[in-house]
Amino acid sequence: MGFLQILTYLSGLVFVIAFGAKLLKYATMPMHVRWELYPIPHEGKEWGGSFYEEIDHWKKVRHKDHMAQYRFMVPEILFIRALREDNRPLWYWSFPFHMGLYLSIGGLVFLGFGAFVQIFGMVPENSALASLFQSLTTVFAVPGYILGTIGALGLIVKRTTDSNLADVTAGIDFMNLIWLGLLFVTGFIVWLQDPGFNVSRAYFQSLLTYGPMKEPMSAIHVVNLLIFIGFWAYFPFTPMTHMVSKYFMWDKVKWDDDPNRGDAGMDSKIKKYLAYPVTWAAVHIDSQGGKKTWADIATTNPWENKDQK
Amino acid sequence: MRPEEISKKTEQLVTIKTEDLAPLPFPYDTYEETPITPLKEEQKKKWEHSLDGVSALTLPKPETPEEEERLVKAFLSGLEKLMTKENNWTFLQPLMLSLEYCAKCQTCADACPAFEMSGRKDIYRPTFRADVLRKIAKKYLSKGGKIFAGFRGHDIDLNWDTIARLAELAYRCTLCRRCASVCPVGVDNGLITHELRKLFSQEMGIAGPEIHEKGSVKHLKFGSSTGMTTAAVADIIEYLEDDIEEKTGKRIKIPLNKKGAEILLIHNAGEFMAWPENPMAFAILFDAAGIDYTLSTDLVGYDAVNYGLWYDDVQFARVALKHIEIARNLGVKKIVIGECGHAHKALSVIADRLLPGAQMIPRESSYTLLNDIVKSGKIKFDPSKNDFPVTLHDPCNAVRLMGIVKPQREVLNAIFPPGRFREMEPHGVENYCCGGGSGFAIMSSGNFPDWKRLVSGRKKLAQILNAFQGEMDPSIKKMVCAPCSNCKGQIRDMLESYEVYEKTGIWYTGLVELMVNAMVDQKKPYIEWPGEDDDDM
Repeated sequence: MGFLQILTYLSGLVFVIAFGAKLLKYATMPMHVRWELYPIPHEGKEWGGSFYEEIDHWKKVRHKDHMAQYRFMVPEILFIRALREDNRPLWYWSFPFHMGLYLSIGGLVFLGFGAFVQIFGMVPENSALASLFQSLTTVFAVPGYILGTIGALGLIVKRTTDSNLADVTAGIDFMNLIWLGLLFVTGFIVWLQDPGFNVSRAYFQSLLTYGPMKEPMSAIHVVNLLIFIGFWAYFPFTPMTHMVSKYFMWDKVKWDDDPNRGDAGMDSKIKKYLAYPVTWAAVHIDSQGGKKTWADIATTNPWENKDQK
Repeated sequence: MRPEEISKKTEQLVTIKTEDLAPLPFPYDTYEETPITPLKEEQKKKWEHSLDGVSALTLPKPETPEEEERLVKAFLSGLEKLMTKENNWTFLQPLMLSLEYCAKCQTCADACPAFEMSGRKDIYRPTFRADVLRKIAKKYLSKGGKIFAGFRGHDIDLNWDTIARLAELAYRCTLCRRCASVCPVGVDNGLITHELRKLFSQEMGIAGPEIHEKGSVKHLKFGSSTGMTTAAVADIIEYLEDDIEEKTGKRIKIPLNKKGAEILLIHNAGEFMAWPENPMAFAILFDAAGIDYTLSTDLVGYDAVNYGLWYDDVQFARVALKHIEIARNLGVKKIVIGECGHAHKALSVIADRLLPGAQMIPRESSYTLLNDIVKSGKIKFDPSKNDFPVTLHDPCNAVRLMGIVKPQREVLNAIFPPGRFREMEPHGVENYCCGGGSGFAIMSSGNFPDWKRLVSGRKKLAQILNAFQGEMDPSIKKMVCAPCSNCKGQIRDMLESYEVYEKTGIWYTGLVELMVNAMVDQKKPYIEWPGEDDDDM
């Protein structure tokens, strides 16, 4: 097993652990108080309404239109609809950049399928299935590289020339864009050298079989691979993982309008949180440095004059 | 301006000039604005004002470097607590997500009315104050935060200037959350403002005086943020009954502390003082519709406001739990919230997960109940009595943040002749804040009222004027229906400051007043226009 393969495994391991830890961190945070924002697609009211529009809503069976959530979120993810509607000048570059990423990842997936069937001797020259995977790899990856390159370059220029963006863009943001831009550009050059992705597929196969890499790899291919390996391990530590916020902020915050109707799970969480010690230091909180719990301070009215009652 | 510049040693970071402000529509397109009144020299010596020359908090300046250092440490300690589940289980997840994931695209900026109408001042960008907090958290609270801090984009100096400006900046956002509704990655910069206010209040005891000492503290001490005591409520209700008799010719008994009533109705107590015709109209409608309800005179129970919603989770919980306790003691089936937007959200949404389900009590919007009354046919309305143009203001808390959009529109369509009701643009869940949200409507310290007039309320004023373009003749009386006390207060202040009624004939009122005005049984007009008194009607 070669050095590059070991690096690839390590990079993948770092990605899985770090990204998993990030998901776990947010998934295990306490249930927050409700903080929804309308319109909420599952309410099924296109004007942005909610169950609060119905008299005695708590007596009625709630109907949640889950498909409406997908109808909202799929175009949002694929076409970055919010940016298209509310920030078109940035969308012109952000959309090709993201679409380039999606297509490149799609290409990688089909490359993996091709490598997998190749283990069983199915190669594009003798197998229709392998040939299909090869074609799909090209169909996804090449436009992905082109769109990604255009998007990365456009975003770099936009963030440099638009003062609204330049003021909030840091060196690290440019580095990230350049990093991904180089990944797309070198990927494209690799494809020019190896239009059938044969070397890439052989490398993927070696990763799947823990075997040696039989095909010779060009210098630019090695560079492309190193850029990818580095980025894969780096990615989970960056805000570029904003798919995490996209999931949690919509599904668990903006669209979380589940009312408290005495569900046992919700009840036990609330009881647990009310027992948390409070250490806020302002005088009016009167937390006594953590001696009091949320239940204690929330049920105490420090200003109540008993004679008034 | 980069967020890092908030730490700059300078007398004042930004100046609001009237010539920079976004223009207003006709007839204010050539209007000569009055600039923000500069603070007096003695005020400048006492209060922090180095953000934009405005003092909303009357925040005292530290007297010694040691005090400054203590306050800086307290701020950091508070920020640390904000990021723990024990101290902030209420908002930890959305806060941490919003701190971590801003994509720096500035999409939110154009959604923010304060940013737009200020003439696009950078300090009012929704990301500006949020970025300052992000940068402080990364540099000072994360491991290795100071390594390559400049390259990583968070090399910010944490000094007293930063904190003082941040405290004021936390009160330049109305928490309307339009920014959050357009963010492509879901970040909620409005929430970060909310959390920042909590940090200042819960750790450092810093908050707008009108919402803390004169607000939630008064509420818990006397029973109402207006200072109205429990002993005074019954008297005030009796006055209302007298006034109702005068207006309708009918004596109506407003039920108080009626055990076992179907509904506990809670008004914003500000209505009793500033707009008594609003609770009176509720009483007239509920009586006519045969609604079994009661008001409470118990401490806190006669004031639906909950200012903690805007700045302090503990104060919030104390008030919300009192509301629920009072309703349970009365044995009512549900609480109905009067025309107060933030009270809607406070009690219906935010308080929903403060207690186990069995201890909760259903809460309902008055808009929904009023629409049900209209639909039931129990009261006969004559739309021709409301034969004047009307537009509707959507209170953010009840509409974008609760999804109550249709009922109030259905009511208006039922009580106005066809074609009289027109929408503002945009409206519904895309509405603009009145400019008085998050406590601004009642905040009047320092020269803050000038900032509200010129910046936060400007977009709504423009929307109102736009809704009536082509009918600006002052002899054509026109109405803004604002079914929320704080929104009404802010709209009143704007209309008065700009002499809008005198120049255009536009006035404001609540929803129930318009309903009573259209009642067939109501012999005299219920709505009063400025300059009119009962004898004129």
